[in-house]
Amino acid sequence: MDEHTLRYEKIDFLGEGQFATVYKARDVKTDKIVAVKKIKIGSRLEAQDGINRTALREIKLLQELQHVNLIGLLDVFGQKSNVSLVFDFMDTDLEIIVKDNNIVLTPANVKAYTIMTLKGLEYLHQNWILHRDLKPNNLLINREGILKIGDFGLAKAFGSPTRINTHQVVTRWYRSPELLFGARQYGTGVDMWAIGCILAELLLRVPFLPGESDLDQLSRIFQVFGTPNEEIWPGMKGLTDYVQFKQFPPQQLRHIFSAASDDLIQLLESLLAIYPPKRCDCTQALQMPYFSNKPAPTVGCKLPMPSNITRMEFEKPSLKRKLLENIDGGSLAKRLQF
Amino acid sequence: MMPGRIGNLQLAAENPLGLSWHDSAWIPLLNPSNIMDYFSERSNPFFDRTCNNEVVKMQRLSMDQLQNMTGLEYILLHVQDPILYVIRKQLRHSSTQATPLADYYIIAGIVYQAPDLASVLNSRLLSAVHHLQCSFEETMSYSRYHPSKGYWWDFKASKSGLGTLHTTQSAPKETTTTPKEEPSTLFQRQRVDMLLAELVRQFPLPVTQTSTSQSNGVTVKTENSNDKGAEKSAEVNSVGNITIKQEPIDTNHPENLNGSMQNHMEIKTEIKQENMKPPPEKKPRVM
Repeated sequence: MDEHTLRYEKIDFLGEGQFATVYKARDVKTDKIVAVKKIKIGSRLEAQDGINRTALREIKLLQELQHVNLIGLLDVFGQKSNVSLVFDFMDTDLEIIVKDNNIVLTPANVKAYTIMTLKGLEYLHQNWILHRDLKPNNLLINREGILKIGDFGLAKAFGSPTRINTHQVVTRWYRSPELLFGARQYGTGVDMWAIGCILAELLLRVPFLPGESDLDQLSRIFQVFGTPNEEIWPGMKGLTDYVQFKQFPPQQLRHIFSAASDDLIQLLESLLAIYPPKRCDCTQALQMPYFSNKPAPTVGCKLPMPSNITRMEFEKPSLKRKLLENIDGGSLAKRLQF
Repeated sequence: MMPGRIGNLQLAAENPLGLSWHDSAWIPLLNPSNIMDYFSERSNPFFDRTCNNEVVKMQRLSMDQLQNMTGLEYILLHVQDPILYVIRKQLRHSSTQATPLADYYIIAGIVYQAPDLASVLNSRLLSAVHHLQCSFEETMSYSRYHPSKGYWWDFKASKSGLGTLHTTQSAPKETTTTPKEEPSTLFQRQRVDMLLAELVRQFPLPVTQTSTSQSNGVTVKTENSNDKGAEKSAEVNSVGNITIKQEPIDTNHPENLNGSMQNHMEIKTEIKQENMKPPPEKKPRVM
């Protein structure tokens, strides 16, 4: 166990979440920059299973998944009573990029992000796993411009017809109407809806449907897509949390996304179909004309980065730092205490 | 005009120079600060909504960002405040370099695409050629031919239906053909007389008939003189001298009328398309 604490040298504190603290660290063995997620011990209730549930999910699922557009779990180690997960280090995420007003997202950039997200998700769905928490914040991007889906804390296997799932998944703004109506049996549609909302947010640069409550969320959805009836959505009234909504007429998406090309509108309409079985899956989405039409997606290295991340320090500074450290004796970097 | 044109994007793709667009609700409010918004109205067929302006607008960013982008953009090129605005469509390569693609001018709220030099030249050449061809066709319709008389001009029919323009236009041509008519008839008259004499010699006729053959020759003569007289009264009085005088007068007329004639022709092409074929590029209606 001690080899692990020696293997990862803490460089920086990155953030603290509900369940974990994340550090930037260097893997001494491979000289790679990694992110180390130290799982908090949590309350007695959470700890009674021995380990935090979200961490367990991540460990369980990510160990078996390997895709360029999914965050890679490199290592897991325990120290004292804690568990730490070692991930690929990602410089930024889509939320930061969307909120950065110095960045213009060109149609080519939007296409690049969408393709990478869909490819990662396609792999995930092919392996019968739902992510269930897709949002810009969980789409991580490194300085090479590669997008990886992260945070598998809510991910779960799907497809078992008898299994009952909780509907309290997905951050509200990206939550699909069937989840908001309390559906317990759902499929890849919940992830596809979230992708549609993320794509819309890339275009508008503000959240597309920022509901203030679950009911407000549904109301906002229907204000855009029109209130569905039994004809559009058979079986809608049988859902546990179904409530009757005021009749809203559907709006034209091309009026909302004024600069979007017609093929992109077609993709959005397919991702954001109200009736879940009508929603396309990742494979169908990737086959749509939007992805084969011009403009071609931006290559990774040309994708925009927030101004605080300088792409130039790519390789050389780390080399330089290593040399400097060698001169100084190399003992200045803090050891990570797990 | 406007709502009908909106859907005609295909038409716009064919020839945007034949199109105009306006939204009368906007026209009284136009000023330099909102002219770009007016131009970027959805229904404007000149506005490509996938341009950088719309991308920036949709993302709620500052328009200053346009400088840092590459691709299609629109800029306000020239303002002459209340009445004229010129908007340029250009392809931006870098913050300092852009290639102009097209200019659009907005006069009194109506948007037109400014034609490029090639289209202007093309259109002028085409209309010149068109008018020339029309005049040739017109002239051709007055020419007559008879094996015994050769070629001549006949304007009798034209006086009732067609304008004086065409008669004056073709007048100089006529003078060149009148001398041609004289020797041919003279020769032919002798020739016919000789042939008739030969025939008379070969097939002698009863005495009464010979007198009619003489009169025949006379009628030929009188016919000719009659024709000449009619022509002379119509246009040319007598011999070469006077026609030379008339020529400059006649040629002056078409020159003076050229400008007004073009106008006439243009109005005609627009109003009654069935009567005169307009040049093909005029068909998609300019205004």
